[in-house]
Amino acid sequence: MIWRALFGRLCISVVTLFVVSVLIFIGTNLLPGDVAQILLGQMATPDSLAALQAKLGMDQAAHVRYFMWLRDVATGDLGFSKAGLGAGNATPIVQIIEPRIFNTLQLTSMVAVIAIPVALFLGLLAAMHPGTRLDRTITFSTLNLISVPDFLVATFLVLVFAVYLGWLPSIAYLRGDETGWGLIRALAMPTLTLMIIVSAQIIRMTRATVLNVMSSPYVEMAILKGVPRRRIILRHALLNAIGPIVNVIALNLAWLVGGVVIVEQIFAYPGLAKLMIDAVLVRDLPLVQACAMIFCASYVVLIFIADMASILSNPRLRYPK
Amino acid sequence: MKEVKVFQQMYRDGQVTRREFLSVMGALGLSATAAGGFLASSSALAATPNRGGSVISASNLHGPDDTLDPIVCTSTIDYIRQCTSYNGLIQIWDNMSLHPELAEEWSVNSNATEYTFKLRKGVTFHDGSAFSADDVLWSMNRHLGKDSPSSIKAFFAAVVEWKKIDSHTVKLSLSSPDADMPIKLTQFQAKIVKKDTTDFSKGAGTGPYLVEAFQPGVKSVHVRNPNYWRDTGQHLDAIEITAITDPNARLNALLSGDVDMMTVLSAKSIKKVEETDGVEVMSVPAGLYGGICCLKNTAPGKDDDFVMGLRMIQDREKIVRSFLKGHGQVGNDHPISPAYGADHCNELAQRTYDPDKAKWHLNKSGISSAELFVAPVQGGIEETCLLMQQNLAKIGFDLKLKKVPTDGYWGAVWMKEPLNVVTWNMRPTANAMMSIQFGPGGNWNDTFWNNERMGKLLKMSLAETDPAKRHEMHCEMQTLVHNDAGMVIPYHTNVLDAKSTKVHGFSNVPLGQLGGNGWAEFIWKDA
Repeated sequence: MIWRALFGRLCISVVTLFVVSVLIFIGTNLLPGDVAQILLGQMATPDSLAALQAKLGMDQAAHVRYFMWLRDVATGDLGFSKAGLGAGNATPIVQIIEPRIFNTLQLTSMVAVIAIPVALFLGLLAAMHPGTRLDRTITFSTLNLISVPDFLVATFLVLVFAVYLGWLPSIAYLRGDETGWGLIRALAMPTLTLMIIVSAQIIRMTRATVLNVMSSPYVEMAILKGVPRRRIILRHALLNAIGPIVNVIALNLAWLVGGVVIVEQIFAYPGLAKLMIDAVLVRDLPLVQACAMIFCASYVVLIFIADMASILSNPRLRYPK
Repeated sequence: MKEVKVFQQMYRDGQVTRREFLSVMGALGLSATAAGGFLASSSALAATPNRGGSVISASNLHGPDDTLDPIVCTSTIDYIRQCTSYNGLIQIWDNMSLHPELAEEWSVNSNATEYTFKLRKGVTFHDGSAFSADDVLWSMNRHLGKDSPSSIKAFFAAVVEWKKIDSHTVKLSLSSPDADMPIKLTQFQAKIVKKDTTDFSKGAGTGPYLVEAFQPGVKSVHVRNPNYWRDTGQHLDAIEITAITDPNARLNALLSGDVDMMTVLSAKSIKKVEETDGVEVMSVPAGLYGGICCLKNTAPGKDDDFVMGLRMIQDREKIVRSFLKGHGQVGNDHPISPAYGADHCNELAQRTYDPDKAKWHLNKSGISSAELFVAPVQGGIEETCLLMQQNLAKIGFDLKLKKVPTDGYWGAVWMKEPLNVVTWNMRPTANAMMSIQFGPGGNWNDTFWNNERMGKLLKMSLAETDPAKRHEMHCEMQTLVHNDAGMVIPYHTNVLDAKSTKVHGFSNVPLGQLGGNGWAEFIWKDA
């Protein structure tokens, strides 16, 4: 049963990736100008434009270019960055992307490792003491943080910690040889920004799910039996709430993938998301496609984990009639 | 505060130490911060360059198209890198003066069609090989030919050939006279690379800094070239060059000391920089401008009165005061600002805000509404268009503004829509600027204004070596553009950047950001 669901998901994921690649291709093509025009900019002449377009294969019809790309990708070849080729740096996309993926993973995993335990703890804390001042403080601040867009949080943090206090660098500028403290310092601001936004959601959902379970008949039974509240939550309620919570965590991590786009841009962090933005600006389609595929794939995988978590944790979904 | 001055002088002359200086200031009743400030200004005045240290420079734009190949570079970050890796034949420095670089000296024949360059001996490339005439020929020939991707191809359209006379002499022959050729050779794209280079990412030129790492769209790291051929200081041990695209993030990075200099400061942020300790604004008057293109080959721009109406309605003083915060000059509807020096026409009367005349001209044209495409191609242009819209409404003219993004603007809107906005960077010479934009039939004649007399004057002034006659010709050209072309040029903006007060030694070349981008080997940073 599980295997069938798994296989079904896998097929849907491949289709999703394909559809996304078509959408990205069409979207980027709709933007004014192609890579040759952008590279030459204000100084383009009909001659030089035609020459560069031919050199970069931009003189072929859009659908032809798409299928050529698809064929290459199917054989595992991401190709060359067109902007790079135009500027005389023939670097394979794989080489460009590799360090960027590492940087983005470094950032997101740091966020996940810190944000998830903290958020779970605060969520549970709020659920254990519903209606108290503690609960209301947590709820009030998380609701506020959910409502504030991430770029505003980022700007605010920079103002406080970098410009006024001067404790942290305002940009996450990596030299590439940072270790330990230096790395933590460089990553502190973007991590903090993402953490605030991701954990706010998880805190809310953890609290809601646990409280939801707390109002179910078996918990009522446990209360009547005289089981201490702490034990009810940790032993009975939390275990039953784990499915939905994992679901929320996975969804939020997927959201994190989108959040890094803004945060990397604001902190000039050399990650995959910033690479994608730069690539869109010069209409470097193969590079945009490659980045988008990676983002999409990670999103699909996380959503898949979220689904699996809810299926596995719920016997009714596990054994459908 | 006379005592302060005296002690500053003593500190500069090395008669008192830093500690002594500060304690004396304390004795004079100055706070530690104030004393520190005097100390800092003393060391700036001292102008004794400090050797060592490194700087991080943050430009406004970079991406996968960053390049170390001179001929295709088009952005500030590329230009800065060209100046760390390579040298040109001739260099432009303070007050637009020309200095010999890889060409020790040059001479020109009487009608400016033949140049002879004597090349410097004993210069080596980063890989140890010797520099010679072959490298010059190879580098310069890359700008020629139909398929050349060079972004300054137009400057070399008249080149017949580059010829090697001996190992360290080359001769350039031109099909038409060009007295401006030496200035054109100072362009970043005209840097000299080693013959037969295929991989430019090493940046292995003859320049003052060696490329240690180059990651397009991320950063590059450069370290001092120990075998550099001239003594310009090379004060810094290392230079890191990166970009921070977001303007606020870039400014914050400078304010918090994470970078030492940044390019493109918006007028809005000038105040913030001015009131923050340790950073300062760099503002260099330039020929850079924002303007409105009225295409002359189509309505409404082909009506001369319509264009004149738009010129008369420009409240130039207010634009410079309010939108540029004083860091600019009023424009006179032609591109040649006073920054072009002798070629600027002082005699031409300044056009001023005159709604009555504007109304008269617009009525005469019979046009009562129009649509202008506006993108924020340059700081101040959007505000200028809004102001123009308001002032036109007062005289009963309905100007619709169609806002479009800068992204893709040059391919999709510029030179296509009948009314659009434009920005032009300063060119090294008045002639180069005029011929690019107003040469009849030129590729970038963005108002499609084809004036025969203009074409003649452009050619004649290039061949003219008598300064007075040359000035007269330039005046005539500026007057033609001022009255007849399809351009409205309300203002010139200064080149605006910001830097840490610890960094010194920039030039004032208005041809690019941060004193013309060529600072790498000249600047130093206080310890």
